[in-house]
Amino acid sequence: MNSMANDVLVIGAGLAGLTTAWQASRHGKGVRVIAKGWGATHWHAGCVDVLGYWPVDSETPATNPAATLPDLLAANPQHPYALVGLARLAAALGGLQHLCSDAGYPLVGSLDKNWRLPTAVGAARPTCLAPATMIAGDLDDDTPMLLVGFKQLPDFYAHLAADNLVQQGIPARHVVLDLPALAGRNFTTAVNLARFMQQSDFRAAVAQAVKPHLGKAARVGFPAVLGLEEATAVHQDLQVQLGRPVFEIPGLPPSVAGMRLHRILKAAIEKNGGQVHEGMEAIGFAADGGRVTAVHTETSGRPRQHRYEQIVLATGGILGGGIVTNHAGEVCEVVFNLPLRHPENRLEWFRRDFLDKQGHPIYRSGVSVNENFQPMDGRVLYQNLYAAGSTLAGFEAIRERSFDGVALATGYAVGNLVSN
Amino acid sequence: MANNIWQAQLNIEAHTLKPVELTLDHCIKCNICVTACPVTAVTDLFPGPKYVGPQAGRFRHQGQPSPDHSVDYCNGCRVCNMVCPTGVKIAEINGRARAHIVQSGQVPLRRKLRNNLIARPELMGKFGQPLAPIANGLLHSGFGRFFAKLLLDIAPNAPLPRFSGERFSRWAHKRRDAVRSDRKVVYFHGCSTEYFEARVGKAAVQVLEANGFEVIVPSQNCCGLPLLSNGEFAAAQAYHESNIRHMVDYVKQGYVIVGTSTSCTLTLKEEAPEMLAYHTPDARLLTANTFDIHEFLVHLLDAGELKTDGLRPMPLTLAYHPPCQYRAHRLGRPSTEIMALIPELTIIESQAACCGVGGTYGYKAEKYDITMAVGKPLFDFVQQVHGPIAVCDSETCRWNIAAATGVPLVHPIELLAAAYGYEPEGPLAEVMT
Ligand SMILES: Cc1cc2nc3c(=O)[nH]c(=O)nc-3n(C[C@H](O)[C@H](O)[C@H](O)COP(=O)(O)OP(=O)(O)OC[C@H]3O[C@@H](n4cnc5c(N)ncnc54)[C@H](O)[C@@H]3O)c2cc1C
Ligand code: SF4
Ligand code: SF4
Ligand code: SF4
Repeated sequence: MNSMANDVLVIGAGLAGLTTAWQASRHGKGVRVIAKGWGATHWHAGCVDVLGYWPVDSETPATNPAATLPDLLAANPQHPYALVGLARLAAALGGLQHLCSDAGYPLVGSLDKNWRLPTAVGAARPTCLAPATMIAGDLDDDTPMLLVGFKQLPDFYAHLAADNLVQQGIPARHVVLDLPALAGRNFTTAVNLARFMQQSDFRAAVAQAVKPHLGKAARVGFPAVLGLEEATAVHQDLQVQLGRPVFEIPGLPPSVAGMRLHRILKAAIEKNGGQVHEGMEAIGFAADGGRVTAVHTETSGRPRQHRYEQIVLATGGILGGGIVTNHAGEVCEVVFNLPLRHPENRLEWFRRDFLDKQGHPIYRSGVSVNENFQPMDGRVLYQNLYAAGSTLAGFEAIRERSFDGVALATGYAVGNLVSN
Repeated sequence: MANNIWQAQLNIEAHTLKPVELTLDHCIKCNICVTACPVTAVTDLFPGPKYVGPQAGRFRHQGQPSPDHSVDYCNGCRVCNMVCPTGVKIAEINGRARAHIVQSGQVPLRRKLRNNLIARPELMGKFGQPLAPIANGLLHSGFGRFFAKLLLDIAPNAPLPRFSGERFSRWAHKRRDAVRSDRKVVYFHGCSTEYFEARVGKAAVQVLEANGFEVIVPSQNCCGLPLLSNGEFAAAQAYHESNIRHMVDYVKQGYVIVGTSTSCTLTLKEEAPEMLAYHTPDARLLTANTFDIHEFLVHLLDAGELKTDGLRPMPLTLAYHPPCQYRAHRLGRPSTEIMALIPELTIIESQAACCGVGGTYGYKAEKYDITMAVGKPLFDFVQQVHGPIAVCDSETCRWNIAAATGVPLVHPIELLAAAYGYEPEGPLAEVMT
């Protein structure tokens, strides 16, 4: 069957790791992805945020990332976007759009414009690429909307979102459904609701219950639960039944929209002959002559060795578990113990205010790399080791809203580098 | 690491494992586990891993009643552990919570009796196998099943296996001196091979011998997993201690233990020590030197020592389900790597999380429907691949898939043995003629 060569080992299955593996496997490389568990794909909104705010303390969102990015690169030449370059960033976005379209789940948008999509509490969220299932919620359009909640889904507060939108000048109302199909439950999760949504009789019941409340609403918003594998069909069917545009609003984890991207990328890797193994935690490595010769993973009995030509570290930063901190003030990378850039002193980790507009210095911690994404300590540490995604140093992802864009672009770049 | 893969590793670090309950502090409440749990997906009776595991775990304290009985609907598949990004041992937290419920006498008598019976395949085997024709007749008759449901709440349609005509260990004993070698391995057959599917053990012995090993089959007990998953910890510990006594001397002589039942090997390696918090030096030696057979073969392959020449082609397209209890070893998919060596064999891997049977879970009348709902995507997949047989490493899994689909199931080691030229038995024999 698949006796592929041991070309590329990717550690981490978030957006960065999966993108790396997708690109490398597309070029015919034998790829294995190992991951301790699933990553931020299951938390984030299922969109691709490239640059939401710049400068980071800006009050107003960036409307056109392509126009703002050159300023960012000039101010921060160490930023991962600077290493990738704008051309490769655009290619990465285009590549993902292409993949998702082929999978029947189009991502809409371009670098020239940020959408302004509503969050679960009705704030405006700048994002670059969003699934077609979310676009009708754009707040540049001020036509009236109806937001639909479910009594059994405590993670979506339709009334709160509607109130907030009204305050921003968007006519919004809400309704909370209590459907017979869910009546026996105290609560349900977004994922179970998404499975229900794939059943046509459930959808018909939803449409039936919403119709009396439509009034003047020109569009109808739901929490992001409109199907898993069949999201596009579910979305279209609801639009037909309700006779107007329908949109999804991503909310608390788990993120159904993020899971769709995870599925599409994983399927692409496996179709190209690659393997994706979850539940495998990298705990150590062996090196010889400036090369990593093996990565060790924890198993039920004893460590397993993975011998691959090229190794890509995509374990996420502090939030993803690839970098850990302790109260003694130490900051460590967990697999290779790579040298990190981080605040010297623990007192400098955080600013005083939780929502400080500059962000917190500790979240800029990470691995320093050269233009080929090889970890550096003045010199290249291992000839065959690369790093991608949030594990990289020197950017304020939370304030910039650049987590997804950096993960996608650096994963794309590294996936192509290791294929040459 | 030892020089050779077949040499036991005797330098074991002292144990530093924390009680599984402490891992709940790592939970960041991300809900990823809830998205993956196959039981939550099909029933309202089970709110999901996060809720019954790390969440309810905060309220469980020695000497106090458990706050949440829905934990009993966890089938132990460990899918949640595999996807959790922070390493919470959810399935083990659930298993220990269930044991607490059992130990504090909160299970009704009839259910307790039933759980204790179905959790003892060794006992059933010892009594049933010598009477194989009668026992098979009774167990598979509508009459027998009716009374099993009436008296003991055993699901009338649950997949019961058939006793073999000859116990595996008798067969092994008769040919004890057939092969002599300095390279020795110990074979752990488990209950299913011993009483129900001797052909799996024969195939394993053939493959190991073809690679130059002398195979030792020591006397042994059930690994204790069914007892563990029914919360009967004292009885499980007695089995585990007995297995250590029977096998640890071989390990100390430098021989490793190889098994064909993925759930037995997982229990010897990890489940028994963790669930029982039983980490004696001998238990640690067993953990470090027990292998699933395909894990062992992959090590041989990596070292260039696996016999891969002259394999007989098998022009078949077969569905393969890597069982959840195998994925839980965190080894990747070693059986797939080995089956890939067989010429002309096309293996299509299932993406299904679990077949639903969860060892003894699916034999319980109150859980049978959940089992079938969990397994449905897998059953559909097996039927869609439309092979004459399908492949799976785990025995209860094989029986469940076969009962649900009508497709006979084999262990992957049977394929390799046949590719080595050995005469297959059972469903594979019919396909190969
Ligand atoms: C995905 C997600 C969704 C969430 N959703 C919600 C929500 O909707 N509503 C809500 O209210 N909450 C929510 N939470 C939880 C909420 O964010 C956290 O529970 C809360 O921030 C915890 O704050 P804390 O300070 O108590 O604990 P933490 O932020 O965990 O801080 C614990 C602190 O204790 C320190 N510490 C630990 N051990 C020691 C030691 N031995 N010595 C010294 N220091 C020690 C740690 O270093 C850390 O600084 C969510 C969390 C996540 C991850
Ligand atoms: S072990 Fe399986 S059934 Fe139990 S909570 Fe975890 S995923 Fe669900
Ligand atoms: S996946 Fe792990 S961290 Fe997330 S909710 Fe479940 S147990 Fe907690
Ligand atoms: S029989 Fe197989 S798939 Fe089913 S629960 Fe057991 S190991 Fe999992």
